[in-house]
Amino acid sequence: MGGITSPPNAAASMTESTLTSRRPVTVDKPTPLTFDLGNLLANDPNPVVFSDRDHLEETLSANARDAAQALINQLLSTCEIKASADGVHLVLPAPTTLLPREKPVPEEKAPTKWELFAKKKGIAQKKRDGKLVYDEASGEWVPKWGYKGKNKEGENDWLVEVDDKKETESGQAHDARTDGRRERKEKVRRNERKQRANERNSRKSG
Amino acid sequence: MYSNRTPVHAILETDHRVRKPKNARAKRAMDKRAPQANENPKTTLFVSGQRTSQILKLATADIRSLKKPFVETFTKKNDIHPFEDASSLEFFSLKNDTSLLVLSIHSKKRPNCLTLCRTHNHKILDMLELYINASSFRTLQQFKNKKPAVGLKPLISFHGTVFEDPNATKWTLAKSLLLDLFRGQEASEVDVEGLQYLISISAAEPEDGKPDPELHIRFYLIKTLKSGQKLPRVEVEEMGPRIDASLGREQIPDPDVMKAALKKPRGVEPKTKKNIDMDIMGDKVAKVHLPKQDFKTMQTRKMKGLKRGRTPPDVDMEGADEDVSEDETSPKRSKV
Repeated sequence: MGGITSPPNAAASMTESTLTSRRPVTVDKPTPLTFDLGNLLANDPNPVVFSDRDHLEETLSANARDAAQALINQLLSTCEIKASADGVHLVLPAPTTLLPREKPVPEEKAPTKWELFAKKKGIAQKKRDGKLVYDEASGEWVPKWGYKGKNKEGENDWLVEVDDKKETESGQAHDARTDGRRERKEKVRRNERKQRANERNSRKSG
Repeated sequence: MYSNRTPVHAILETDHRVRKPKNARAKRAMDKRAPQANENPKTTLFVSGQRTSQILKLATADIRSLKKPFVETFTKKNDIHPFEDASSLEFFSLKNDTSLLVLSIHSKKRPNCLTLCRTHNHKILDMLELYINASSFRTLQQFKNKKPAVGLKPLISFHGTVFEDPNATKWTLAKSLLLDLFRGQEASEVDVEGLQYLISISAAEPEDGKPDPELHIRFYLIKTLKSGQKLPRVEVEEMGPRIDASLGREQIPDPDVMKAALKKPRGVEPKTKKNIDMDIMGDKVAKVHLPKQDFKTMQTRKMKGLKRGRTPPDVDMEGADEDVSEDETSPKRSKV
């Protein structure tokens, strides 16, 4: 298996001027080729006949040349051409040959219970506008949540009023600071519970 | 890469359970592998069987170099017989996120056998064996000429009546698999400079009483010459590899699975616009409805003589302009 060089191209050795007018660019085949330009594909439905094993390569390369010529002709004549600074581009149509997908089409996410309810009631989604909120008391912009968040208001007060009414009703001592914290934590847990329920329901239905 | 002793089925089962990512990086990686409406180009995994041959090594090396960068390679041997049990291949496909697999096995019964496998959702969809003809095989390096740049989209052509069969045969399967293997990245635009090589796949006519014809896979460089016309004259030059192969066993895809795999996501196809058509020549033809024209409001030619007289505020503005631009004297301004 030695090195192979293709036969010298006779056309290339002659001068340009004598030949340019004689080089044909059309392809004549008994059955015309069909194309899938999106995949740069040419289908040649004509039967391939080899006279003998020695002429195999010639037949194959002649066929390939015709297909390449026809495909390039088709590309240059039907595709939109975009010329820009970084070269000439051809806009390809979508591929027509069907090839299987790698993975199934993604399923749409099931709506959550809140989304269903909001749709029924016609509630539009509220737009979030930033993390900061104006604090009237201090006259500063403070974060809605997180470190020194607005939702932790009153949790670090050094002095709080005792709610007499609440204490007499429940019969035990209350601390407004810990009550606020407990309420906030309970809200978070409740939301997580709802999230899990929504996930579970979507898995059941999907 | 993976030990053959791993209980494959056990791992597969745990993988199909819904697992929650533990950190943001894992979540990103999982999202990347999740089904997507617009899919990434398929990656091909090259695996060698328990025994392989020099011909197969050279052939896969050449295919890999042409398919870069969408390739993964296993260097170790794996005792896989895909037509008996393809679960290892499914496992590799799942773990490496590759949906095309090329397995090379050499045996006395099936010499130089290249098995092309394709998966859908990490399950084997179809398979085809190619027995490479060792005597006519040539590598990429044996052709002494320029090679195309890495990652270019090739032109592909199929020659022969066998590929046009409307029924699912091993030839149409070969066409589908080879097209999927070689077509590269899906593109809406190509650079004209990038049309550098052609992959030509041919098969002779099948004759009764003779063995099935061989599949001839050829790679040609494309050269365009001036023709004195608008379109160029195209010439080809073989660049290798040169692969002749006979088709072996095949596994035709299950029609139901294939139907699911060919499903198109919603919203990918553009909506057809009303009253707009394309004629046979590829020109856009549209029907346009116009309201009755009202000549009273129609814009006619503007002329200086028809202008309304200048209003006092305009005069004021001019005065202000002059005040501002007293020290700068541009030629434009001097005309006003």
